[in-house]
Amino acid sequence: MSRFKCSCSRRDFLRKGLYGIGVGATLPLLVDRTSAALAAQAFTGTSMETNPERILVVVELSGGNDGLNTVVPYGNDEYYRVRPNLGISESQVLKIEDGYGFHPSLVGFERLYKDGNMAVVHGCGYDNPSLSHFSSMGYWHTGVPNGGETLGWVGRLADGAYDHDAQGNRIVNIGTRQSLAVRSRHHSPLVFNDPTTFRREGADSEKDAIGAMRATGQRRNSTLEFLSATAQNAAASSDFVRQAAAAYQTPIDYGIGGLSRQLRQISALIHADMPTRLYYVAYQGNSFDTHVHQADPHARLLAYSADAIRGFTEDLKRIGRSQDVAVMVFTEFGRRVEENGSLGTDHGTATPMFIIGDHVKGGLYGEHPSLTMLDDGNLIKTTDFRRVYATMIKEWLKFDDTKEVLKGSFDPIGAFA
Amino acid sequence: MVVGCLLSPSVVLVGQQRSGVGIEQWVDDLSSIASADWNYQTAAHLLERGGFGATPEEIARIAAMTPEAAINWLVDYSNSPDTAPAYKASPIWDPGMDPFPKSRAEAVRRARDTGSSMGVSILPEGESRRLQPVVNKFFYGLRSNAVETQRLATWWGERMLVSQRPLEEKMTLFWHGHFATGNNKVRDARMVYQQNEMLRTHATGNFKDLLLGILRDPAMLVYLDNGENVKGHPNENFGRELLELFTLGVGNYTEQDIREGSRAFTGWTNDVLEFKFDPALHDFDSKTFLGQTGSFDGGDIIEIILQQPAAAEFVVSKLYRFFVREEISAGVRRELAETFRDADYELKPILKRIFMSRDFYSSKSYATQIKSPVHLVVSTYKKLGLVELPTIPDFNRLTANLGQTLFNPPNVAGWAGGRTWVTPATLLQRGNLFRRVLYPDNDGFWAPDRVVPGIYRQVEQRLDQGMNITAATQEGDAESSQLADRDEDYNTRYGGYMGYVMAFEKLHPIPRRVAELDMVTLLSDAGSTTVEAVVDHLIQRFLRVLPSAADRMVLVDFLRDELGTDEIVSSTPQTESALRALLYLLLSTPEYQLA
Repeated sequence: MSRFKCSCSRRDFLRKGLYGIGVGATLPLLVDRTSAALAAQAFTGTSMETNPERILVVVELSGGNDGLNTVVPYGNDEYYRVRPNLGISESQVLKIEDGYGFHPSLVGFERLYKDGNMAVVHGCGYDNPSLSHFSSMGYWHTGVPNGGETLGWVGRLADGAYDHDAQGNRIVNIGTRQSLAVRSRHHSPLVFNDPTTFRREGADSEKDAIGAMRATGQRRNSTLEFLSATAQNAAASSDFVRQAAAAYQTPIDYGIGGLSRQLRQISALIHADMPTRLYYVAYQGNSFDTHVHQADPHARLLAYSADAIRGFTEDLKRIGRSQDVAVMVFTEFGRRVEENGSLGTDHGTATPMFIIGDHVKGGLYGEHPSLTMLDDGNLIKTTDFRRVYATMIKEWLKFDDTKEVLKGSFDPIGAFA
Repeated sequence: MVVGCLLSPSVVLVGQQRSGVGIEQWVDDLSSIASADWNYQTAAHLLERGGFGATPEEIARIAAMTPEAAINWLVDYSNSPDTAPAYKASPIWDPGMDPFPKSRAEAVRRARDTGSSMGVSILPEGESRRLQPVVNKFFYGLRSNAVETQRLATWWGERMLVSQRPLEEKMTLFWHGHFATGNNKVRDARMVYQQNEMLRTHATGNFKDLLLGILRDPAMLVYLDNGENVKGHPNENFGRELLELFTLGVGNYTEQDIREGSRAFTGWTNDVLEFKFDPALHDFDSKTFLGQTGSFDGGDIIEIILQQPAAAEFVVSKLYRFFVREEISAGVRRELAETFRDADYELKPILKRIFMSRDFYSSKSYATQIKSPVHLVVSTYKKLGLVELPTIPDFNRLTANLGQTLFNPPNVAGWAGGRTWVTPATLLQRGNLFRRVLYPDNDGFWAPDRVVPGIYRQVEQRLDQGMNITAATQEGDAESSQLADRDEDYNTRYGGYMGYVMAFEKLHPIPRRVAELDMVTLLSDAGSTTVEAVVDHLIQRFLRVLPSAADRMVLVDFLRDELGTDEIVSSTPQTESALRALLYLLLSTPEYQLA
C-alpha cells in the first residue's frame, strides 16, 4: 500500500511559518544557505587547529594486500625462489630504486613516485601479528594492536584535534557501513555510500513536517541534544552531499573498480568546501584476499587502486586543492612470503604503506624486512604502522598530541617537507 | 500550555511524566524508589530497559504493582511461563560433514588425498570437474549455516517480541554482546544456537557458572582459536579476551598474566559440539597468575580472577552501561561491586538493586539511552501490539542496515553501543526503514532463505537458459571469467551457486509475513477519536520523552491536513494511510531513538 497525496497545502502551511519556526524557504534556497554556512566553516578552523585547510584521506585495501608483489624486491634472488610462479620478473617491474620496483599495474603509483609525491614505507606492522583479517584489521582500525580499544584512531584523532561540535562533519566515511577506524567519542562521522540514497524518504508533506520539528523536547538531556544535532546535521549534510555529488563534473578519469567512485565523491566534497578534515574510504569486500590464482585479480586490483588514487591527485590539482590533501594507504596485513600451492598467497604480516601528496618528501622509507629471517614463514615488521599514523597526525595535520591519539609514543618518519 | 488545555484520556497519562521520574536529586542515589513515586512512566522505563518496551496496557499493569513486586516479576522470571516458540533446527548437517574443513583449499586437499571430503566422493577419473561435488558441498556447508543463523536470529527476534520474560531475552542479548562470538568465523549454526541457549540458561544465574560455561563453549573455543592453544605453543587469544573483555578490563593484569593464564587453558578444546579436555595438549606445569603460583587449570584461573576486586567492578560497570547509562560514578561502581561480591556473583541481587535504585529513574538515566537497532525494531513491533514477528521486511536486514546483526557482532569486543549507533546516515535510515514495515513491498521482496543473491542470480538465469557451466559462470570482463573456471577440477563460482541451491533444499523456510497493522482499530480501541487525541495517544505509546508543544502541533496539523477533518470517524483506507504517515513521522523523530 503506497500513498501519494497532493501536498501543496502542506507546503503552504509550512511556508507561512504557522508554527513560529522559520521555515520560510523553498528547498533549493535552504540548501544554498546551508552550503554557504558549511563552506564558511571550512577554512576558519576550530579553536585547536593551526592548519585548518589540511585534509587527510585514508584509503584501506581490505583483505590483506600482497606487499611483496606490490613493491617488488626484484634485486633479491630469494624473492624469486619463494615466488617461483607468482614472482614478477625484473623486466616487468616498474623500477624505482635500490632494487625495488612497482608491480606493472601500478603505473599511476610510478608517476606519483617519480614526481616525488609518494613515500613508500617498507615493512609496516606490529608485534605479535594476528593473521586473522578481522582481528588484524581491528588493530589497524583502532591503532591499538592486541588491545580492547573500542574507538578508532581516526575517531580519536578527531576527538583530540577538533572542537567537539557535532556540526560540520570533521569525519566523512564513504561506505556502506561505518568503519571502526572513524568511531569517535565526540564526533559523529558522516557515513554514506550512495549520495543519491542519503536522504529522508517519504512524501513531501512528510519530509516537510519532519523538517519542521526541532526535537527540542520537554525533557532535554545530552543524548537528545546529540540526536537532535545529528538529525540537523543529516538534514543539512545530506542535501549538501547530494547537491555536491550531482553538481560535480570532472574530465579526469578515475578508472573503474572499488575506489574510483568513492575518491571522485571526495573530490566533489572538497570542491564544494565541505569542512571535513578526515576522509576514510575502503576498497571493500575483502577484495585483496588473494588465496588462489592471484596473478590476474591482484594485477587488476592494483591497477584499479593506483588509477583511482592517481586520478584523485590529478583532479585535486585541477581544482586547486592538491596542496591541501595527503593520502595514506594501508592494508591489514601482507601475504605470506612463500606462494601457496594454488598460485596464491596466504595471510601474512608486514606490508608497505604509502603516503601521497604535494608536500610529501618522496622516496623509500624504513628497511625492507628480510626474506630469509622470518617468523614462522612470515616477514618481521621493520616499522610500527603507528609511526606512519603519527606522521600523518603530527607532520601533516600538525596535531602534536600523538601520544594521546595513539595510546603510546611513536616517532613520525619525517615524510613531509 | 497546549497540552494543558486538552482533555482526552491519554493526556492524563502524558501529564504524569512531569513527576515521579527523571528527578535530578536521584542521580547516583542507590536507595530504593518509593511506592509513592511509582507510576506509569517509571513502569514504562523499567520495561523499556529491562525488556524491549511494552504496550500501554502492559505498562499500566506493571504501574499498578508496587515497585518491589514489579521488579521481582521482571527479575524472577522463572515464575512466568516460557510461551515463546521453540527453535526447530534445519537438518543441514549429515554425518560426513564433521569436522568441517576450515577452507575450500583444505576441503579440496582432503579430497585429493583421500578421495572424499565432507562425506562426498570425487568423481571417477575421466569425468570433467572431478572435484566439483566436493566444492559444492563445501559451499553448501557455508551457505546453509549462514542462512540457518539468520533463521536463528529471526527466531530470537520473535522470542524478544513475544516472551513473557522480557529480562531473560534482554540479558541474553547483553551476554551475547559481552561474550561476543561471530558466526562468520564459527560457521556452525548448531554451535551458535547452543551458545545462545547456554547464555539464556545462565542469563541471571551466577556469573561464575556463566564464565565457566562460555570458556567451555564450542562456539567460543572456535571463535578464539583455542584449538590452537596447546602446550608449548600457547595461543593467547583466549586468555587475553578472558582478562580484557570478559572479566577484569585493561589495566588490571599484565602481559605475563595473559601468557600464564593462557597456559592453563591449553588442551581446552571441542569435539564438534562437545567441550573436550585433551590432557595430552594441556600444560600441567606450574604457572604464576595474578600473584599466585600453582599448577593451575582453567577452573583455578577463573577462581583467581573472581578473587580480584576489579572483576566485580568490571562486570557491574558493563551491566550499568547496558541498563542505566553511559558513565558510572566511582561511588556507584564501588557500591554495586560490593553487592555483587557479597552475593557471591549471583546476578539477580545486583539486577534488582539496579532496577530498584532511584538512580535508575533519575534525570541522567531516564530516556537517555540510544536504542540498539535490535531494540529499536523489536520494541516498535511490541508497541504496535504485534504478536508475531514480521519477516517482510526481513528482520535481519532491518537491523543489519542499522549496524547490528545478531550472531555477528563486529568484533570480539561486541557492539560499542551508545552514540556509536547513530550517524547522520543511519539516523535517516532509522526512520526510512520503517516505511518498509508500514508499506511492505511483497512483490519486490526476495527471501534470503530461498533466493540466491547477487551475481549468483545471473548464474542461475544462464543455467536455466541452457548455457554450460563455463559460460554461465563468466563475468563481464574476460580475465575474471577465465579465473572462475581456471582449475579444471572444479568451477568455484558454480560451486558457490550450487551451495545455495543445495542449502535451500534442506533449510526450513522462514515464515514470511507482513506486520498485521490496523491503526484505525488500535486508535479507536484507545478511545482516540480526534486528531489531537490520536497524536497524544501515539506520543504516549511510542515516546518516552515528550516533544515540544511546537513539534506536537506540527504532528497535529499534519494529521488534520492529511485527513481534512478533526474527527476520526471512518475507517477508510485513506484514514489508515494518514495514520500510518503520522506514525512514520513519530518514528523518525530524534526522540524516538531514546529508550
